[in-house]
Amino acid sequence: MTRFLQYLFDGLSSGAIYALLALGLVIIFRGTSHLNFAQGELAMLSAFFAWWLNESGLPFWFTVLLSAVFGFAIATLVEHFIIRPIGRRSTFAVGVALIGLFLGINSLAPFAWKVTIPEQVPSLFPNAPDDFVRIGGATWRIVAIGNLVVTLAVAGLLFVLFQRTKLGLAMRAVASNPDNAPLTGIKVGRVLMVSWGLAAFVGAVGGGLVASQNGQVESTMMFTIFFSATAAAMLGGFDSLLGAVVAGLLLGVLENTVAGYQPELIGQELRGTVSLIVILVVLLVRPSGLFGSARVERV
Amino acid sequence: MTDAAEEVAPSASSAAGPALLEVSGLHAGYGPIEVLHGLDFTVQAGEMVVILGANGAGKTTTMLSLSGVLARRGSLVFDGHDISRASPDAIVAHGIAQVPQGRGTFTDLTVEDNLLVGAYLRKDPLADDLDRWYTTFPRLAERRTQKAGSLSGGEQQMLAIARALMSRPRLLLCDEPSQGLAPIIVQEMFRILQRLNEEDGTAVLLVEQNANLAMDIANRAYVLETGSIVASGDAASLRDDDSVRKAYLGY
Repeated sequence: MTRFLQYLFDGLSSGAIYALLALGLVIIFRGTSHLNFAQGELAMLSAFFAWWLNESGLPFWFTVLLSAVFGFAIATLVEHFIIRPIGRRSTFAVGVALIGLFLGINSLAPFAWKVTIPEQVPSLFPNAPDDFVRIGGATWRIVAIGNLVVTLAVAGLLFVLFQRTKLGLAMRAVASNPDNAPLTGIKVGRVLMVSWGLAAFVGAVGGGLVASQNGQVESTMMFTIFFSATAAAMLGGFDSLLGAVVAGLLLGVLENTVAGYQPELIGQELRGTVSLIVILVVLLVRPSGLFGSARVERV
Repeated sequence: MTDAAEEVAPSASSAAGPALLEVSGLHAGYGPIEVLHGLDFTVQAGEMVVILGANGAGKTTTMLSLSGVLARRGSLVFDGHDISRASPDAIVAHGIAQVPQGRGTFTDLTVEDNLLVGAYLRKDPLADDLDRWYTTFPRLAERRTQKAGSLSGGEQQMLAIARALMSRPRLLLCDEPSQGLAPIIVQEMFRILQRLNEEDGTAVLLVEQNANLAMDIANRAYVLETGSIVASGDAASLRDDDSVRKAYLGY
């Protein structure tokens, strides 16, 4: 039991980060049906931005917040000047452009800041060896609790935004029927821009948590995380915010548990394989995921 | 083609003052394909006008270009404002709302959210309007927290109409509202449109294949054939015109 609790606590921590990235993927997918391959790299770019500002003496939590605003701005520009013009010609081309963006940002970030080695950042949460609470014999580190709390807070704010504000209503309307939305006076282009910005904002918070947890930023920091986040978004149903959070946490726990109980067979090196298997099983057994709507419509 | 349009009877528009909507030389299409070859028509304030036409005549293209969601050329004047180049949201703000073809609802949203989306550009309180449409369409009131996609075809069409009316338009565009609905539902819906037109003075521009019913409630009608208006006049006289009767009324 103690052993499982330990995997649960560790899993919820990495799962929280998957959930944030998956939320970003879902926000964009709902609006445009694109899988944003550049989601992880935008988060990495934001994390570099946070590190850079932190170097000049601002507290790290504050620069992570600023980097989320930075991510928001970059993503709205990407939507307006790259995604939308290409999307008018071909949806397929957007997918290719997003992969290009993934590669481009990946090489741009270290170049822009002229760094080649990982750069150090402080932890966002108390991270001394004795910063933990003990529950049922297992240790729940303050860092792990911090990741989870931040993710749940972000998810809660997103829920309020989508369900209780006029902007959220417009975003849901565009997601449901982009052809009809302009007929009600909704500026669809602007809504999509904000969606991209919001997705990058949430992703940047995730990037900040990853940097804080690793104690450093580097250009490859989001690779495997993005992969797991995609699996989480898929498991959650790709159009459900709740699904993204639940599936992200679930996947984190699953990875840790499987790797923990089967150290010889799976071990730490093959953790990522769990995500791949989840993606395959979801696609084969339940393509609409756990929470996704199967788009049943009367015609 | 428009010059050859057969003027069956003097249209009401020539007598009255400036029209609520005045369209001249409207061209529109999809990419390189032109569908509308220069339409001229008008809608007076408080009038109910129907555009008849077969499949592929350009009815939906006309409606979409009026709402500004399709690229268009020509002159569109609404209530004295030139809206030829206006964006879709500016057109809604001017007072034109559209019930699009098919189910014009947001199926993943609840009935109530659909109505709120309809009032997206309004900043004044909406309670009275919600009350009014829930009273007009009691089925919607019963289902206000249900997703629109779970409603029947007729209920969805009513919701689409109520949704459009939430913006308090002065001109309501309805694109084939009778499509795919049981005759009794169609009759009820047309009765509601007629009442709205008479009581509120909301002008209605209706596009229909169901010519018989549409002609019953319309003041005037235009006949659209492959992107051009080939006949126009008041509904009663068009009804008596042999060519129109054979082609669109079927007797």
